[in-house]
Amino acid sequence: MKNINVNFNLNGEDISIDCEPAKTLLDLIRDDLGLKGIKRGCEIGECGACTVIMNGEAVASCMVLAPQTEGANIITVEGLTSDDSLHPIQTAFIKKGAVQCGFCTPGMILSAKVLLDNNPAPTRKEIRIAIAGNVCRCTGYKQIVDAIEYAAELMK
Amino acid sequence: MLPEFNFKRPETLREALKDYSSENYKLIAGGTDMIVEMRKEKDIDYDILDISGLGELKGIKKEKSKIYIGALTTFSDVFTSAVITKEAPLLKEAVRNAGSLQIRNRGTIGGNICNASPAADSVPALVALDAEVNLVSSDGERTLKLDEFITWPYDTDIKEDEILKSISFKPAEYTGYHFYKLGRREALAVSRMNVAVLLNIKNGIIESAVISPGSVMPTPGRVNEAERLAEGNKPSGELFEKAGVKVSEIMIEQSGIRWSTEYKKPVIEQMVKRALIFAAGIKT
Ligand code: FES
Ligand code: FES
Repeated sequence: MKNINVNFNLNGEDISIDCEPAKTLLDLIRDDLGLKGIKRGCEIGECGACTVIMNGEAVASCMVLAPQTEGANIITVEGLTSDDSLHPIQTAFIKKGAVQCGFCTPGMILSAKVLLDNNPAPTRKEIRIAIAGNVCRCTGYKQIVDAIEYAAELMK
Repeated sequence: MLPEFNFKRPETLREALKDYSSENYKLIAGGTDMIVEMRKEKDIDYDILDISGLGELKGIKKEKSKIYIGALTTFSDVFTSAVITKEAPLLKEAVRNAGSLQIRNRGTIGGNICNASPAADSVPALVALDAEVNLVSSDGERTLKLDEFITWPYDTDIKEDEILKSISFKPAEYTGYHFYKLGRREALAVSRMNVAVLLNIKNGIIESAVISPGSVMPTPGRVNEAERLAEGNKPSGELFEKAGVKVSEIMIEQSGIRWSTEYKKPVIEQMVKRALIFAAGIKT
């Protein structure tokens, strides 16, 4: 099968890579580019563990073919800050005890970022709607909603 | 990794139509159904034509009293569209919970229709609006009514070299609408049964009623018998109950008695009744 050249921006860096068309954006970022923040969960668009921000929107990267990323702007959890510091959403997740095993966390944080970028002071209901596509099997959603509410305050 | 295939991304609709008519391609748009399908296979015997970048098939516009929704318009774009909010709030409601946000940001209205899943959220609302599908191939264009286009669960009347270009409808005349959806988990569960209704009430009398259930009949379509029953009468809980019973009768006529009938029958009756009560804005 013919490889396809794909060009896109990942966390502020221009990427040009030859990839097999049968890879998803999840495969490309995790396996080929080595960014392990996004997680491989269900691979059928139901869990949100593989969430990335694509052109400003939360998207399940297991539902995008890698070559469909041509020209796109992608942000993963690694790209939230440009140095080693934590993003306020990350700080809030730690402070509010919203992380247990951490498997859902990168996806949750990216869904939260899209929400807060568009709506700096969301209600708890709006927060719940924004993370409705992200499944957490251990922490419980209350702490996560608390954390996002707190992050909104920190980002004021 | 998915099973192997070759991939092509045409730049224009023209180029896409040419490729599509000459090679063994399947189309991918948002990928939210297609990738799940591909993942079920060990090998696939087709290649992939990615039309997701074709700007010609995106966006919503109003032209000569008709609304056109480009086939590649995402659910999120339908949901936030000012035109849809104003002219077709029924459709807005129908896509509100069509999958998670991550899915609505990628999934397209055209993909939803062409897959013809009986659980497609947008279809009952579009059928209620008497929507048409506008298809294009290298040979030209043709227009079909949506409820005639979908011929069987997961099957449509699309020809091998045709691409769905847009969906269009005239804004309906109504005084009330409602989209009632039954799901397991609100955000994600692929919609089970749902029903889209429109009511036009003048001087306390129902002038016209539209009842369009989804995932109830083998193919989408309005239930004229139940609509006629409601028309010409004063809205009431009793009347709407009868309309609900009519819908379930027609369901059994069309699908026969099945293992699921015992569950579906009372549920569809209540759904239709409640949707009509909401649309009429009455208390019971
Ligand atoms: S791995 Fe993509 S949604 Fe679950
Ligand atoms: S912290 Fe374990 S899945 Fe959410």
